[in-house]
Amino acid sequence: MIFYILWNYLIGYVKIRVDGVSLEKFINLTVSRGIHLWGINRQNYTSLTANISIRGFKQLHAISHKVHCGIRIVEKRGFPFVLHHYRHRKMLTVGMIVFLAILYGFSSFIWSVDVEGTEKVDPQMLMEELYSLGVRPGVYKPNIDTLSIENSLVIHIPEISWASLEIKGSRAVLRVKESVLPPAFVDKDTPTDIVAAKDGIIQKMIVLEGQAVAAEGQTVQKGQLLVTGIIDHPDTTGVRYVHSMGRIMARTWYEDAAELSLKEPYRQRTGRSAQIKYLGWDKLKIPYRKEEIPFADYDMEVRKDGFFITETYYEVEEIQWDKNRELAKEKLKELVGEKARKKIPEGAKIIDKKFKYDMIEGEKLIAVIYIEALEDIGLQQTIEIQ
Amino acid sequence: MRRKRLDDMKSAVSEMFELPREIMLNLPKISMIGSNQMLVENHKGVIEYTPQRIRVNSSIGVIRVQGNDMKLKNIAADDIMITGGIKSIEFI
Repeated sequence: MIFYILWNYLIGYVKIRVDGVSLEKFINLTVSRGIHLWGINRQNYTSLTANISIRGFKQLHAISHKVHCGIRIVEKRGFPFVLHHYRHRKMLTVGMIVFLAILYGFSSFIWSVDVEGTEKVDPQMLMEELYSLGVRPGVYKPNIDTLSIENSLVIHIPEISWASLEIKGSRAVLRVKESVLPPAFVDKDTPTDIVAAKDGIIQKMIVLEGQAVAAEGQTVQKGQLLVTGIIDHPDTTGVRYVHSMGRIMARTWYEDAAELSLKEPYRQRTGRSAQIKYLGWDKLKIPYRKEEIPFADYDMEVRKDGFFITETYYEVEEIQWDKNRELAKEKLKELVGEKARKKIPEGAKIIDKKFKYDMIEGEKLIAVIYIEALEDIGLQQTIEIQ
Repeated sequence: MRRKRLDDMKSAVSEMFELPREIMLNLPKISMIGSNQMLVENHKGVIEYTPQRIRVNSSIGVIRVQGNDMKLKNIAADDIMITGGIKSIEFI
């Protein structure tokens, strides 16, 4: 029904008043010619009002002649009449055309570039690669050959195995699938030793190739020989050189310290944030999505993405460590743990953790962390053969 | 007599194949929503239209609708929609 009303408005219709004696005959004749009438309302014995399309109205002339009735337009409704009303306002038409042209023009450029699907690969690197291939904000859309860009990305970047560049309106979206790189090639022809990469106590040794020199339970120092690739056994003739292989699991220790000034207040984010989004450049910017900032104290971060500027306000609360020693300890524990974790290589298992706290004249709190870890300390070292 | 037999057969066929009977037998189809709206399909023209009385021609005779403040909401070659307070419908 709404569609019907809209359609009628779009093509335009007139409300007519018909005066005559045989109005039923008028209705029947009109309808039999395939002209649609609606909203018929009889005013009195000799007149009625009805709605009729513009095209139908033009055909009424012959009928009115036949039935001897007078037809007058009461009201003109619909878009064609509005258009007719504004027909002398040329600038309006020009403005409309300019508007459409600008809309079309602006929509045929790329406004933003996005990268999706990265896990280990830096999206920034892919973005720069895309920029260098000619996909950047402000580029004319038909100039982008998505297929060849996809191909050249996959060929030039070994870390990705599949790429799809899609242009969605004014946004270019690159979706990639990262490839699984083959394991590093082991050169078994080069004879090597295994030495300790760091101090530790050997917990377990699994020697696959070569001759073990150190034993389980032994304390070793950095650089100490653990497995030798020179095999000189009385049962075999001559000296053999092998590429040593094995896993030397050892207990290692890490130590780190962090401090916290108790006098300075600490600004901590509460986790609540609000955003204001702008469209524009530098100082000329128009907010298009604005959230209320109900925070008394906040940090602000600005992120720019083409013409889209996002300001994020993070609520912040100040913590006085002096009055909150327990909280300070908690925070310090977190801090020192994070710091120490950076030192520990990936793959190491943390067995034990110990903390020690020190207070210096009520001004500073120092925490020391001791971590005991289990890791492979084996390090390949090429044997120089004279 | 032959005409009647033909109609009977058509009726039987339309029933058997579940065909719309108003098309097979060329009958008017009248549907109403409450007493405010009435749709007559397959009509044969308006004989009389006043807000109090409407007479519509059809293959089975004249359908007389009486009421008050009635309007012809829509009229096309084969259907008429009557709105307003309908009080009675008679087939004459």
